[in-house]
Amino acid sequence: MARVPIADYFEVTDGDDAPVRLRGSRCPACDEVFYPRRLVCAKCLHEGTDDVLLSTSGTLYTWTWVHVPLFAKTDAEVSEYAVGQVDLAEGPRVQAILMGAPGDFSIGMQLELGLETLRQDADGNDVVIYRFTPVGADR
Amino acid sequence: MRFEGTAIAGVGQLRFGMYRDVPAVELARDAGLLALHDAGLTLADIDEVFVGYLGLQHQVGVKAVKELGLTGLPVTHIENASATGLFAFREAAWAVSSGRAEVAMALTFDKMTDVAGRGSTSGSMSRGAGRDQLDASILPAAFFALWAQRRMHDYGTAPETFAAIAAKNWNHGALNPLAHRQPDHAVTVEEVMASRMIAEPLTAMMCCPADDGAAAVIVAGEDFVRRRFPDRRLVRCLSSAAQSEAYSPGHAFLGPVVGPPTMTRTTGQEAYDAAGVGPDDISLALCHDAFANEELEYYELLGFCEPGQGDKLVAGGETALGGRIPFNTDGGLIARGHPGGPTGVAMVHELALQLRREAGARQVEGARFGLAHCVGGGSVCTVNIFEGVD
Repeated sequence: MARVPIADYFEVTDGDDAPVRLRGSRCPACDEVFYPRRLVCAKCLHEGTDDVLLSTSGTLYTWTWVHVPLFAKTDAEVSEYAVGQVDLAEGPRVQAILMGAPGDFSIGMQLELGLETLRQDADGNDVVIYRFTPVGADR
Repeated sequence: MRFEGTAIAGVGQLRFGMYRDVPAVELARDAGLLALHDAGLTLADIDEVFVGYLGLQHQVGVKAVKELGLTGLPVTHIENASATGLFAFREAAWAVSSGRAEVAMALTFDKMTDVAGRGSTSGSMSRGAGRDQLDASILPAAFFALWAQRRMHDYGTAPETFAAIAAKNWNHGALNPLAHRQPDHAVTVEEVMASRMIAEPLTAMMCCPADDGAAAVIVAGEDFVRRRFPDRRLVRCLSSAAQSEAYSPGHAFLGPVVGPPTMTRTTGQEAYDAAGVGPDDISLALCHDAFANEELEYYELLGFCEPGQGDKLVAGGETALGGRIPFNTDGGLIARGHPGGPTGVAMVHELALQLRREAGARQVEGARFGLAHCVGGGSVCTVNIFEGVD
């Protein structure tokens, strides 16, 4: 059984402790870093960027607790959840689902990247999505 | 851009709500006829139509115009998310101002209750798989809740301030026969706060409904309108500005439906400059209050107060009817409703009534300059300024 990302912006390998990394782009002309990957630099319009693996932790810019099911229940039974925007050291602001309870989050705190299984696909693989978790929290 | 010699000839709007058994093209027809009647025209007088909707199939706009007649006129579809209607108006006004059309119509209609019922990841609103799936994972209320939470962190804004804005707009809706929500009692901050939590701090009553509806506006040369309606106050289209996002560090590419708040500030400034007026000249404003916290931000971004001072405007009742700068006098997206495409044209409809001084119980005394603002997912922003003259 393998883990299959729901989108190809992060790398997943088999094994319990496999790291998850977000893959972004760095502009060779102006050094601006973007997530997700892009061909044309959004800042200086240079064509062609280099792949870069981004930090696995960041600072919480804002967050909310949502009392409505994730994906309108079509992909997973998640009745309520947190979502936030996380600033990575390289610059990108990444919006993602957060793992934890409502009392776990505050603006400015450090979060680290993790994975969560949403469902199994027809071949029995785990379909996973990346999420952020408070640093040091039990997972 | 500044429009030259361009005025509103007629407006029409259906009450927003749920029209389960009425085909979309019939909603469009009825709003189109209202606008034609208001302008004293038929489709034979219209040189060009811009149609706008979000939740329907391709080509429906041309079919909708056929319900008003088949005259061979050019029909063009405009789609810019929540801002669709205001962009369709802008194109109609520009067509007249540029001289390519003497009379142009923006015809907008939608059945968003069908879309809402299908869920965010199925039916015609599906955003597919992979990256698009990630983009679709979070409902609009959550995006704006993220903005609200940061506001509370930066300025100490209380959720009750958002509730006060929502209550104001619900109560404005009670005065508008075309509003979806017409409460039979004075809505209070407490009632808004006690409604179901959607995305903290936004409760259900701080969020706009999904609606069906239609609205139309006809734009023509000032002389054309004057000749037909010598005794009616003339509503000039003064200026329009539109933007998509400019890159700035911290831009979140994946997720947000509406981009950096600075877009509203710079679009608004461009519209003021083109019109030759400023915030102090504006008698009333219509803005994209899909979620109540947005309206608070737009008070500041559109220049009606300094950054961080919007809370004081709310506390003083300055943005309610009777206040210094009434916002969303027709109930806004929260109470008038938000069918998607027609929303921006409903704003123009309200400003036309207000500047003609035909707004009845919700008339802003002495209304002269009006402003309509919309943002749309993707994202885009447009600000349009009008003037009513005797």
